[in-house]
Amino acid sequence: MDFVDIIFVVFALIVVVSAFIVVFSRSIIRSAFSLLFTFFGVAGLYVLLNADFLAVTQVLIYVGGILILILFGVMLTTNVVSVEIKTGTLQTVPAAVIVAVLSGTIAGIFWFTEWHTAPAREGPTTKALGTLFMTDYLLPFEIASILLLVALIGAAMIARHERGTEGGR
Amino acid sequence: MMLESIQTSLSLFQPEIVLCATVLAAILVDLIFRRRPVIVAGTVIAGLIVTAVLVGAEVGVRARIFSGMYVLDPFAHFFKFVILGSALLIVLFSLASKELKTAPKRLGEYYMLLASMTLGMVLMTGASNLLMMYLALELTSISSYIVTGFTREARDSSEASLKYVIYGAVSSGLMLYGFSILFGLTGTLGIYELNQSLLSMPSINWTALLIAGVLALAGFGYKISAVPFHFWTPDVYQGAPVTITAFLSVASKAGGFAMLMRFLKVTFIDLASSTQLASGIWAMMQGINWPLLLAVVSVATMVVGNFVAIWQDNLKRLLAYSSIAHAGYMLMGLVVMSNQGFAAVLIYFVAYLFMNLGAFYVVMLVANETGSESIEEYRGLGYRTPLVGVSMAIFLFSLTGIPPTFGFIGKLYLFAALVNQQWIWLAIVGVLNSVVSLYYYMRIVRNMFLKEVDGRKPLVPISIPVPSAVLLIFLVIPTLGLFLYFGPLVDVAQAAVSMFGF
Repeated sequence: MDFVDIIFVVFALIVVVSAFIVVFSRSIIRSAFSLLFTFFGVAGLYVLLNADFLAVTQVLIYVGGILILILFGVMLTTNVVSVEIKTGTLQTVPAAVIVAVLSGTIAGIFWFTEWHTAPAREGPTTKALGTLFMTDYLLPFEIASILLLVALIGAAMIARHERGTEGGR
Repeated sequence: MMLESIQTSLSLFQPEIVLCATVLAAILVDLIFRRRPVIVAGTVIAGLIVTAVLVGAEVGVRARIFSGMYVLDPFAHFFKFVILGSALLIVLFSLASKELKTAPKRLGEYYMLLASMTLGMVLMTGASNLLMMYLALELTSISSYIVTGFTREARDSSEASLKYVIYGAVSSGLMLYGFSILFGLTGTLGIYELNQSLLSMPSINWTALLIAGVLALAGFGYKISAVPFHFWTPDVYQGAPVTITAFLSVASKAGGFAMLMRFLKVTFIDLASSTQLASGIWAMMQGINWPLLLAVVSVATMVVGNFVAIWQDNLKRLLAYSSIAHAGYMLMGLVVMSNQGFAAVLIYFVAYLFMNLGAFYVVMLVANETGSESIEEYRGLGYRTPLVGVSMAIFLFSLTGIPPTFGFIGKLYLFAALVNQQWIWLAIVGVLNSVVSLYYYMRIVRNMFLKEVDGRKPLVPISIPVPSAVLLIFLVIPTLGLFLYFGPLVDVAQAAVSMFGF
């Protein structure tokens, strides 16, 4: 195990453990803060893979944007601290069997498959990514912006408060 | 060099650009002419027509554009016409809908979202890169989540929307996971490159490929509501406004099928050992038994759809289960992996477009008057409003596949394709399922014509405005007429199975 492997294991552990807390914690605040570590851990993994731009974006958008919004949402919602999250467990045995089989298969796949590997890219990636967005990936890039526009308008439409009856304002 | 290729791509991408412009124009028009949704609807109609004309001008072109992200071929063009046609009809339906009028303020956005949904579906037909496929699917899905919850005041509608989001998120997550395994195996996302890479590999971990294929199938299966990814369908179809239900059941399925067919054929075809390629039968790569897998899914989909539909009293819900069953029939056409099977699916889609939209249109007209979709509202409808009753009966006969309707031709070609490839048992299951479907479709017909009408109560006809009646007749004519005159359409469908590169 060399140095990179050790760092990988550390980051991977951070991600997995904090993700478990996000899912299993009964307090929504604890879940939200735990998500912080998950996002940071993923950013660390990106750095390890020489994906500098991706790592910075991960921190900026997920930690700086989305997570803060979630926390604001949680804190501004009244009664959220004391709210009981209902997590019922049904059909435990079949679920456990299926999960065991599935995770066994997936783990097996990852262990035994010869994955297609590419050599790590040295140096900054931002410029290369930008060029790709404007050349090979132009169409997905543009369609993604339409997608975001639609999502924004949709969110506004759903959230817009309609006072009283329709038509009156 | 790159600039030139982008310019060429753009010139071949005109229909989609117009559709994008329609989405943006709808937003602007809605802002300028406030509370005048009819103008927005007009903008969308104009945009759809221009798009269809531009697609028509492109017929015959085969090209792979935007660095392999998107292809133009007869197959995509055929589905684009089906999708644009149904989008156009849905906008016309929406103009007559009373249910939508409960939220006049949001109606402008409604039409804009219809346009963006159409754009997503059109992109689905031509996407030839896994990334592009995912984006197109997501554009369709996100627009549909929003319009499903359009009549927000109705509890059903919000519930349907939320269920749709949750199922959609899970299945697109599964699909992305499958795609990531495919990428990990080959290092490429383009489906043509995937095919070459898989074929040239000395050894592939077949289990990995199988898992990737099944996971990807989850995403496609969700869009076409195939069992076991169908759980959202009944609730969403019941809760959404009728117009959206009709649109989802036809166009969304068309997009999903187009993408699934392209993905299966292009990614997993084995050209080297396809000795009969000239006769329209191709061999699939070893490793995954796609025909058997699809046959199992198809049988499960037909059986669940048909048998659960028997117990439904709400027509929207009944038609939802029936649309699941129809997805099962169409999947049979994929099982055979031959041009004949694919052509049968294309023919079936045209039939399905008219008969299913027609049935939903009748449901909408009746609900406009009565505010309910219960089967009880249809009692004696054949005598109260003969036009609506008879039209509905024709659509239902066609959905069952009884002559003299176009639905019969559609089923005939499907079963013929199966029998030609020695899939006799599947054809028998399909026929038996049609018999089951006869029961619940005829239950509606019986309610409309044969149930005793309470003589003391006056027969209240359902008032149908003239434009709605014209539109209804416009849907009935092809349902009946194409039974007699299906030759040209069949020729078109058989020519349209050819995809770029094959």
